Formats: sequence, C-alpha cells, structure tokens
Amino acid sequence: MKKLWREFIKGIWTENPIFFIVLGLCPTLAVSTSVNNAVGMGVAVIFVLVCSNVIISMMRNIIPDKIRIPCYIVVIASFVGIVEMAMKAYAPALDKALGVYVPLIVVNCIILGRAEAFASKNPVIASLIDGLGMGVGFFLALFVISAVREVLGSGKFAGFAIPVTFEPAAILVLAPGALLVLGLLMGGIRWIKSLRS
Amino acid sequence: MVRNDYFKYTLILAVICFVASALLGAVYSVTNPIILSQQALQEQSGLREVLPEAKSFEAVKEGENILYFTAFGPGENVLGYVFKASKKGYSSEIATLVGVDQAGVISRVKILSQNETPGLGTRIIEALWFQEQFRGKKSDNLSNGVQAITGATITSRAVISSINEKAKEIMERVHGR
Repeated sequence: MKKLWREFIKGIWTENPIFFIVLGLCPTLAVSTSVNNAVGMGVAVIFVLVCSNVIISMMRNIIPDKIRIPCYIVVIASFVGIVEMAMKAYAPALDKALGVYVPLIVVNCIILGRAEAFASKNPVIASLIDGLGMGVGFFLALFVISAVREVLGSGKFAGFAIPVTFEPAAILVLAPGALLVLGLLMGGIRWIKSLRS
Repeated sequence: MVRNDYFKYTLILAVICFVASALLGAVYSVTNPIILSQQALQEQSGLREVLPEAKSFEAVKEGENILYFTAFGPGENVLGYVFKASKKGYSSEIATLVGVDQAGVISRVKILSQNETPGLGTRIIEALWFQEQFRGKKSDNLSNGVQAITGATITSRAVISSINEKAKEIMERVHGR
C-alpha cells in the first residue's frame, strides 16, 4: 500500500512530468493559454494515460523487447481512436469539451514515456497508479501555468473576468509568454525542492 | 537463429496490428451511424439558430459539397439562405454560420469554430456586441458599419471578409441566373 502511494505521489511532485522529467512540453506550451483549455487537456491526458498504462502492462509479457516501440504506438493510437469514436457517439457534450485534445494526446510523449519507463516493467495495479499519479501531476502543472498566464495575461480566471488593477500583459497569453512562465515556474519549483532536500 | 527472430517479431507485430485494426473497424461501424445522426441534429439546430423564422431547410449541393441551405417559411415560400463562411484568422481557421433573407440582409451570425488567442481573438465570441452588429446589414456589402474589436483586428476582419466574400458568391448564384 505504502509503495503504491509512493508511485502515485512521485508523479505529482518528485518526478512531475513537466517540471522534473520535462516531458510533454509541446501540448503544455500550446494549451496553457487559459484554465479551461488546461483542465480539458489535463482530464483527457489522465484518462488516456491510465488506460494505456493498464493495457501496456497487461501485454508486457507478449510484446518482445526489440519491437516494443512500434507495438506501443499501435496500441496507444488505436486505443485513442476507439475512445474518440465512442465519445463522439455516446457523449457528445464531453466530446465538445475534450474533442480537440484527445487526438493530440497520441503524440504526447508522456504516454509513450510512461509505457516505456514503467508500464512495460511493472504489474497492472502499479501501472494504473503510476498513470494516475503522472496524469494528475501533468494536470496540476498545466493548471498552475495556465492560471498564471490567464490571470496576468488576460485578467480572467477560467473565462470569468476578475477585478484587476493592472493592465493585463497580452504577451503572457501569446507564445513567448508560455516559455517565460514555464521557465520561471520550473526554476522556482526546483529551487523549493532543493531547499527541502 | 537470427532469421527465426525476424520471422517471430514480424508475426507478433502483424497480429497486434491486425487485432487493433479489427477493433477500430468494429467500433467505427457501430459508432459511425450514431455520429452522423448527431452531426445532422447539431447542424439543424445551428440552422434554426441563425434563421429562427424558417420552418425547414434544404441543402443545395454541388456534387458532394453543400454550397448553402435554402430556408422555407410556413407556406413553403423561400424565406432566405443559410451558408457557412470560413477564413484564416490570426492563428486558426474561423468558421461562421450566417442566416440571410432573400435580399441578403443578415438575420444572425454564429461563430462555429475558432482557435484564436484567448483574451484577444476569442473576444469575437465573448463580446456579444460583435456578433450582434451584423444583424440587419447587407451580407454582401459589409465594408462599412461593422466594427472590429480593438486588439483583435485580424480576427475580426477575417470574420467580416469571409462572410462578405461568401455572401457575394451565393447572391450571384441565387439571383444571377
């Protein structure tokens, strides 16, 4: 139990995919312009990551080591395709909110990274917890970045105007702002971590 | 021995691909009719939204492509037309649904999809006055009278000119012959 808890917590803090492993930066930079986008992408990633980790872990004894990467890609891509079609048909409201992000997840390297680094070597339950922890870690990191960018860049939070006494700096919602905020946050968080150890 | 490995790996990968594509095909054949009917439903409600007075719509096609919809009133008379206009804005393709009467005067416009900069370009949706001001204007002559949003000039202009261009094309088709 304690080991599983550690697998979960490492994705959120010590091995956070964005701030410490630095994986999946492309969607992070592109999607963190507003909190709504970040939540949509975060939820979609948690879902796909947990499921792909479980499937890869179940197949870990069938897939030979030498051809594992093409196997993972086939499994993940077809799984995402199935989820997308099912969502469009049976949950159109959910598809409207997450639809844009789900196809992007196929190319999110966190998914392939966790399949390679964890799910291919560990039992199903541990892989599920690892996927959940990494997904939640990605979600939280994306949430923090997008909150900073949206509040300071457009004076809003999750689409609602908040009373601000300054002129919002539009550069923060544009592409350079993503790199500025990500870099400063990454530096700050690593500094806090170095103080604690 | 090495030759044997190649054979084995190829076989395993082929089996995985086969199973994956069979699953995808099965899911597609089950979900596709449902997805199509949902899209048709959404399309109908979108058409109603931009031309609420109309009772029914009929797609006017050229080959497979839908050019525009003709809207009919209660007495089967032609009330107006609904068309889709789209153009590249600042960072994305902006698609707009426009309802016009027979003379081309706009009833309502609805932004269908866009992915512009949050806080700047996305105000074409958030600032209600932007879409409201199209009402009652001639769709094929929008050069004056439609205000662009400050800080979102490129996005606003894309919406305005896409409607303008498409309206000209459709009015020519409808009245030109």
